[in-house]
Amino acid sequence: MSQFIIRRVLYSVVTLLILSATIFLIVRLTGDPVALMAEASARPEDLERIRHQWGLDRSWPVQYVTFMQNAFTGELGKSFNYRLPVSELYFQRLPNSLTLGLAATLISLLIGIPAGIISAVKVNSGWDTVAKGVALLGLSIPGFWLGLVLILVFSVWLRWLPTSGSGDWRHVVMPALALGWYFAASMLRLTRSSMLEVLGSEYIKLARLKGLPDFVVIAMHAFKNALIPVFTLAGVNMVVMVNAAVIIEVIFAWPGIGRLLYEGIFQRDFPLVQGVVVMAGFMIVVINLLVDILYAIIDPRIRLTR
Amino acid sequence: MQRPRFEAYSAFNLIAVALILIAATSTAIPFAAPAGAAAKGKLVLAWHAGFASRWLDPQEHDGTATPDNFFTAIHDALIKNQGTELYDHPALAEHFSVAPDAKSATFTLRRGTRFHNGDPVTPQDVKFSYENYRGAKADVFKKKTERVDIVDDRTIRFVFKEPFLDFAILFGTANVAGPAWVVPEKYYKQVGPDAFKQKPIGAGPYKLVRHEPGVRVELEAFDGYYRPVNAKQLVMIAVPEAATRVAMLERGEADIVYNVPGELITKVGKLPGVTLAPVLSGSFFIEFAGFQDPKNPFHDKRVREAVSLAVDRRAMNQAETAGMGKPTGNWINNDVQYAIEWPEFPRNVDRAKQLLREAGYPNGFDVDWVTPLPTFYSRGERLIAQLREVGIRGRLQTMERGIYFQRLQAGLKEFPGTQIILHGVRIAGSWSFWYEGHFKCGGFNSRDRICVKDLDGKFDQYERSTNPAERKKLAEEIQRGILENYYLVPVFRHAFVNAIGPRVVLQKWQDVFPTITTGYAYPWEDIKVKDQ
Amino acid sequence: MATIPANTRLAAERTWTGRLAALVKAAREAPLAVVVILGGLILVAALADLIAPYDPTLPVKGAEIFAPPFWMEGGSLATPLGTDFQGRDILSRLIYGARVSLIVGLMGTLVAGGIGTALGIVSGYLGGWVDQIIMRVTDAWLALPAIVFAIFLAAMIGPSMWNIIVILGAVYWTRYARVIRGEVLSLRERDFVKLAEIAGASKLRVIKKHILPNVLNTATVLASLTVGVVIIAEASLSFLGVGVPPPQPAWGLMLSEARPTLMAGQWWLTVFPGACILLIVLATQLFGDWLRVRLDPQTRNL
Repeated sequence: MSQFIIRRVLYSVVTLLILSATIFLIVRLTGDPVALMAEASARPEDLERIRHQWGLDRSWPVQYVTFMQNAFTGELGKSFNYRLPVSELYFQRLPNSLTLGLAATLISLLIGIPAGIISAVKVNSGWDTVAKGVALLGLSIPGFWLGLVLILVFSVWLRWLPTSGSGDWRHVVMPALALGWYFAASMLRLTRSSMLEVLGSEYIKLARLKGLPDFVVIAMHAFKNALIPVFTLAGVNMVVMVNAAVIIEVIFAWPGIGRLLYEGIFQRDFPLVQGVVVMAGFMIVVINLLVDILYAIIDPRIRLTR
Repeated sequence: MQRPRFEAYSAFNLIAVALILIAATSTAIPFAAPAGAAAKGKLVLAWHAGFASRWLDPQEHDGTATPDNFFTAIHDALIKNQGTELYDHPALAEHFSVAPDAKSATFTLRRGTRFHNGDPVTPQDVKFSYENYRGAKADVFKKKTERVDIVDDRTIRFVFKEPFLDFAILFGTANVAGPAWVVPEKYYKQVGPDAFKQKPIGAGPYKLVRHEPGVRVELEAFDGYYRPVNAKQLVMIAVPEAATRVAMLERGEADIVYNVPGELITKVGKLPGVTLAPVLSGSFFIEFAGFQDPKNPFHDKRVREAVSLAVDRRAMNQAETAGMGKPTGNWINNDVQYAIEWPEFPRNVDRAKQLLREAGYPNGFDVDWVTPLPTFYSRGERLIAQLREVGIRGRLQTMERGIYFQRLQAGLKEFPGTQIILHGVRIAGSWSFWYEGHFKCGGFNSRDRICVKDLDGKFDQYERSTNPAERKKLAEEIQRGILENYYLVPVFRHAFVNAIGPRVVLQKWQDVFPTITTGYAYPWEDIKVKDQ
Repeated sequence: MATIPANTRLAAERTWTGRLAALVKAAREAPLAVVVILGGLILVAALADLIAPYDPTLPVKGAEIFAPPFWMEGGSLATPLGTDFQGRDILSRLIYGARVSLIVGLMGTLVAGGIGTALGIVSGYLGGWVDQIIMRVTDAWLALPAIVFAIFLAAMIGPSMWNIIVILGAVYWTRYARVIRGEVLSLRERDFVKLAEIAGASKLRVIKKHILPNVLNTATVLASLTVGVVIIAEASLSFLGVGVPPPQPAWGLMLSEARPTLMAGQWWLTVFPGACILLIVLATQLFGDWLRVRLDPQTRNL
């Protein structure tokens, strides 16, 4: 087991190395941040001064090594635009993004799981179609449009909810709905397939043979076992929602990490973009690691397969 | 109260003098001390952009118009632009004078001004702020300044190596350079430049209460300010999506929203209690990259003139800013030094076609790319449709903002073949700042795309000249040369349309947006909100 | 070498024409509404030049900007669904937009599916360090936001529809790689693959003859689900200002450009393209779901 864990951790480190190198290169190929930091009458000396100030005059390998050295000590560099350590900015915004991510995950589960159960249990019925329709609708409307329609209806017309920003729970409702609904479809699919799998297993057939009513079989046995993969996926989805909910955060002026990334990209704020992407990667890797280990504990055969 | 003796100094044109006189009679500057104490109400401002932290520190002014929003709230300058005063509104300085030989300038500080932490504003702070300044145009100040003398506890003198004719205008225009803005030396040195940007302390009408970098700045009236401050709280929120900002206004969550997009202007104007504030802003003009090449169709002046005749400036203005912009003759706005008046260009499709025939293009020709300033793509699309009517066929090229500026700064090699650029610039201070960056051969944004040798020669002469009359003459000759030869084709002045909600007290929008050199709503301390 | 009929699937489905025939047959059994929507859209996209009344990129001569649909006051039958902020005919833009959206959706899916399937097969079949590298890259890729790619490619080669296709392909391949690799891992242990290997078939031949045909069903199902996601992603890129460049009539671009008008009551600028996107995405998703049940009931976790 410990060997398995060591190997998994090593994989994670390799993944993060690949990720950091890729994002490091890609942001540098998107253009020159100095072009946006200097004003129209800047002179070559001004540009050189700015380049030097931010260490952009050093060669890429040197910059990368510095970046990685700092990253290992938990420091992701200083943002060009905000003049703050990226890690500080990230953790400033993280609570907001976690709030939104959690609420959105909850909504995706609340829509996706019931819809998934209905379409697993009542295959090809009218209920199946309705449930699928509701879950798929969130995936079929571009997020920025859905967001604006929500603002128009619930803020401007009905005056129930504030348009944007953060504060109490009322601020979270619309962005979480717009974000979570998109992910509901994947929850639906996974719930359904894993329900079908469990319903087809010997163990459930046995329960049915024993004469337990359908409702009990579904509620007590099938559902419980089908949930494990669903929650695994919900975890990965949540990492994406926390770190890359760019559009929803822009529409609702939500002060989260997605907007940090958005502005970082358009300002060519290299350390910021690198930092956010590496943090997202780190979270995904950790979640995957935990899931792998958890599964290995549940099912020892997994340890031998890879 | 003494006003600066500027009228005597002939370097400044009549319009500016007239404006100053008007301002002098209309602007009363009371001395009432703890004025912020009477402040009441909350003013919420929804912004169109995310906040860069450098905007809170005048020491690193980036030369754009945006930071003055924060400067005018948190900080204060010796002199600044305010209302109809272009650069010489006395703020922390009670008065100032420039020596007749333009080799020194002397400022007398207002009595009893304080920073938010209670420290008095001293000549030493002024000296530090000037000498430590490292933002836009810092090199110009460095190069020309001999030394800064503290004459007494209220007087400070800047001594120059050579006549510095542009000093006052550079020093006092908040959207050009920032060395006039005074930061507290002790605090600045104690926390360092980066921490200062997170929690700045200044001598302005509002002190910082809370700062969420990039998204939110909360300010409170400073009761040590020397002018009355009306609104108790001032909150600035970054709301990138225009439709969301308008919803905030409609629901009463914001009192002022910046940048209402063209499609929404009419609707927002009809909202109950809402006032539109269409501020004339940047000029849009057409540039023919690489027209100096004889093989380029735009090498022929007649073809450039045909482009001008084909442009429907009024339709453009109507569709893009609900008619609130201004079709222009001169692209240099009239609130900057030495701008000349020029009649609006006519539209005449038949004449344009005739000129194209004469130039040897009876069937028109193809333009490789028409590139508009991001993100004003729809203006590029309209231009293409208008040019098509005379037979000039162009295709739209869109670029993300960062890429656009990088390409501009890389020069002609990024714009090969037959190219049209629909560029837009907000020109502030002096026409020469624009020429230097956007037209001159080798300029930061113009590079090798334009390069008109004889005009550049005149510009060098202008730069060397210390004779105001000669400078004025050269400035006007250059502008006329550009306009008569259609080296650029002015299109229109963009209206930066803002909206003001019902809680703000006003008679007309100019009460909230009185400062003519900017599209933004300051001085903040003057804005009144109804108390709820 | 003789064909080895060890596969459980019908032999007819193993040839390309057979597969196509099966797909057509399957499509006939698919839910009617879905087939009608998708078929209709493909037809509209193909015949856009014939049925669109106006050039979608230029203003209609004599038409107002923001003219409403014909049934509203001020509307006209000349521009039945109204005009946009440039005075262009919305109906014509929608018709040509079907073409752009379908091309982006299908080609983006093809690129993603191509990269992902190829990497998944190589990774699963070769195993070892190749597998390790590919899987680590796949993991790393999940954390890279699409918009970073978009700006990167726009900076490198300038914006265009084909660029958007490459971006979307580069973003959405990872899922294919993971799922296909999983399938290949189990296929590799099957008798017909082992037999072929013993018979001396080259790796390439085994992949071509035995592995690829057997993962195609899964890839097809994945693809049918990806089309809609790609179309939505195209709209999102437009919102971020790095999508299909104007004046091309892409639905996502139309929706994004016109979004302020939603607050001004000119609903026809957003509702029509929005509804088109919704319809096509919903239809492809339902089709994909149905296809999955039909083709491969055992497939998990797609």
